[in-house]
Amino acid sequence: MIHIDNLVKRYGTLVALDHLSLDIHEGEIFGLLGPNGSGKTTAINCLLALLKYDKGTITIFGKEMRPDSYDIKQNIGVVMQNVAVFDQMSVWENIDYFCGLYVKDKERRRELVEEAIRFTGLEDFKKMRPKKLSGGLLRRLNIACGIVHKPKLIIMDEPTVAVDPQSRNRILEGILELNQQGSTIIYTSHYMEEVEQICSRIAIIDHGQVLATGTTEELKKMIKTGETITIEAIALDEDQLAQIRKLPHVFDISYEEQTLKVRLSSAKHNLVRILNYMQEHDIAFGRVFSELPTLNDVFLEITGKELRD
Amino acid sequence: MTVFKGFLTITKRNLKMVFLYIIIFLTISIMTQKMLGPQGGISFERESLDIAVIDRDGGALAKGLTEYLSAYHNIKDMPDDKSILQDRLFYREIYYIVTIPEDFENKVLLGTDTLPVTKVPGSTSGYYVDQQINTFINSVRVMTDGGFSLTDAIAKVQENSKESPQVTLIDKNGHGGSMPAHAFMYQYMPYIIISILCYTLGYIMIEFNKTDVRKRMRCSAVSDRAFNSQIFLGYVVVGFAVWCILSIMPIFVYRNDFLTDTNLPFYLLNSFILTIVALTLAFFVGSFLKSEELISAVVNVLSLGMSFLCGVFVSMDVLGKGVLTVAHFLPVYWYEIVNNLLAGNKVLSSSQMTELYQGLGIQLLFAAALLGAALVLRKNRAQAEG
Repeated sequence: MIHIDNLVKRYGTLVALDHLSLDIHEGEIFGLLGPNGSGKTTAINCLLALLKYDKGTITIFGKEMRPDSYDIKQNIGVVMQNVAVFDQMSVWENIDYFCGLYVKDKERRRELVEEAIRFTGLEDFKKMRPKKLSGGLLRRLNIACGIVHKPKLIIMDEPTVAVDPQSRNRILEGILELNQQGSTIIYTSHYMEEVEQICSRIAIIDHGQVLATGTTEELKKMIKTGETITIEAIALDEDQLAQIRKLPHVFDISYEEQTLKVRLSSAKHNLVRILNYMQEHDIAFGRVFSELPTLNDVFLEITGKELRD
Repeated sequence: MTVFKGFLTITKRNLKMVFLYIIIFLTISIMTQKMLGPQGGISFERESLDIAVIDRDGGALAKGLTEYLSAYHNIKDMPDDKSILQDRLFYREIYYIVTIPEDFENKVLLGTDTLPVTKVPGSTSGYYVDQQINTFINSVRVMTDGGFSLTDAIAKVQENSKESPQVTLIDKNGHGGSMPAHAFMYQYMPYIIISILCYTLGYIMIEFNKTDVRKRMRCSAVSDRAFNSQIFLGYVVVGFAVWCILSIMPIFVYRNDFLTDTNLPFYLLNSFILTIVALTLAFFVGSFLKSEELISAVVNVLSLGMSFLCGVFVSMDVLGKGVLTVAHFLPVYWYEIVNNLLAGNKVLSSSQMTELYQGLGIQLLFAAALLGAALVLRKNRAQAEG
């Protein structure tokens, strides 16, 4: 559905997109995951022909995307990172306005607007002006304006930034529902939990480059970490830490603020082996956690830094 | 036509302000017309003061002067006591004291002495009495020099003072030489047209010029050309509606007086061209303003500034040379030049017609310049946004 090939975008000497290539298939919720400033929004802006790029090609629905590709734009819905609505129009008028940019038939438009209002749960706020809405409701209005015309492709650029957990869950459920209704979705975020929760495929992007692409499971398999065990231990000396490091499948440990964190590659009985060692050496310990790798672990291993840096 | 409809929706939100301005406009123009118009010209009333005349002479001339002044003022009976007189003057029981000295005729009429008077310092009414005393003495002097006896001269001067002169203004404009009432309304129109259009369209353009909204629009299936055309149409409709409302108002208020004015088409044309100027000004203002808070300040500076400099609130006749030189560089000045031509002449001569078309043409040039500047500004802004 979307083919981005070798995209380069420079701002003076800063390379925002460095030979970025992506393929997004129909029916996917495709996550673009990366820290702030990694090039996600620049990539989206190039995709929407809002920005001129220096090199590369973008094809959407099999056609080259250009600023005047109105036939392509007709089938794209956009939810911007910043709320883009008119302060002097009511909620209903805003959604109707953005719907009118794509749908001319008045009756059809009315149906779509009502549907979008129901979908985003804004029924009680139809006549209110945006300035009177809370942050979460404003985001929902932004989404309603972007998806009201039922586009085939929806591009959402960090739609949950500064949103309360309740609104965030509602938005994420809505995105899944839109996808089930047949829309392909490109979703950018630096919240890995969200991306992990809803995206069928993910591209990890940093410094304008795609570092890895795949499903959550595929990405997790790409890295060494199979399990992370966290143990609260009051006192561990250097010798003990060195011995734990030598245990089978352990490849990294850290001990900070009386918390031992052990990273291990995928294997059976990793936890049992570590707990046995603690008992054998009379090491007192408190709570114990075992976690499977997260996207943050993936990001950490691939880029060498935390996602939220 | 979604953009156009959105434009009108936001316009509707600002209608309250439009009507508020129209009410202010109507009030100001009708009030000013009542004060300065033709009725105002004949509503002048002679001022009558409480004065005291201390006659130490008692002769015919002194009595004549007292009688002459009594025709204009209320003469209060006062004792010839300096301290009492000063007290009465201090407490404003009287405003003027004339002391007629002994041997008044020889000292003042035939001699070079001046008549001793005491008045409230700096009062304009005092000058008024001074002038009347001078008129009386000079008139009597001229007549006695011309052979009249003193008694006859005094009688003649008193007789003449009872006659009031007949003043007839040359009727060049069909309104008895006075400014027609509707011309006052057209004189104030620039302030209202500029304020209403800059406020309303400024608010609308701030909405449409928000970076995120512009970005969102560029993602849509509406082309830039369609978007700009619809915004242009919005401007034309709002501008035309405001012009129509303001043009209908003089018809309701002044009816036949306005409808039978031979200059009616020119009044309409002049205000229509000013509306075009105001629209381009609003477009210019809307192109660089980014916050609603700034609109009020900028529009006030523009509308009030131009109004004061270009003879909207204060007639051009009383404006200083320097002010008028600066005003040449503002479109409202040329509007007022045309308006004054129309207000002062029923039939325009060919040279006046040339002056009229020159005024209209210069206004159009201002409109073109403002439009060009706004387009350049918008282009630069679009380039900066990528």
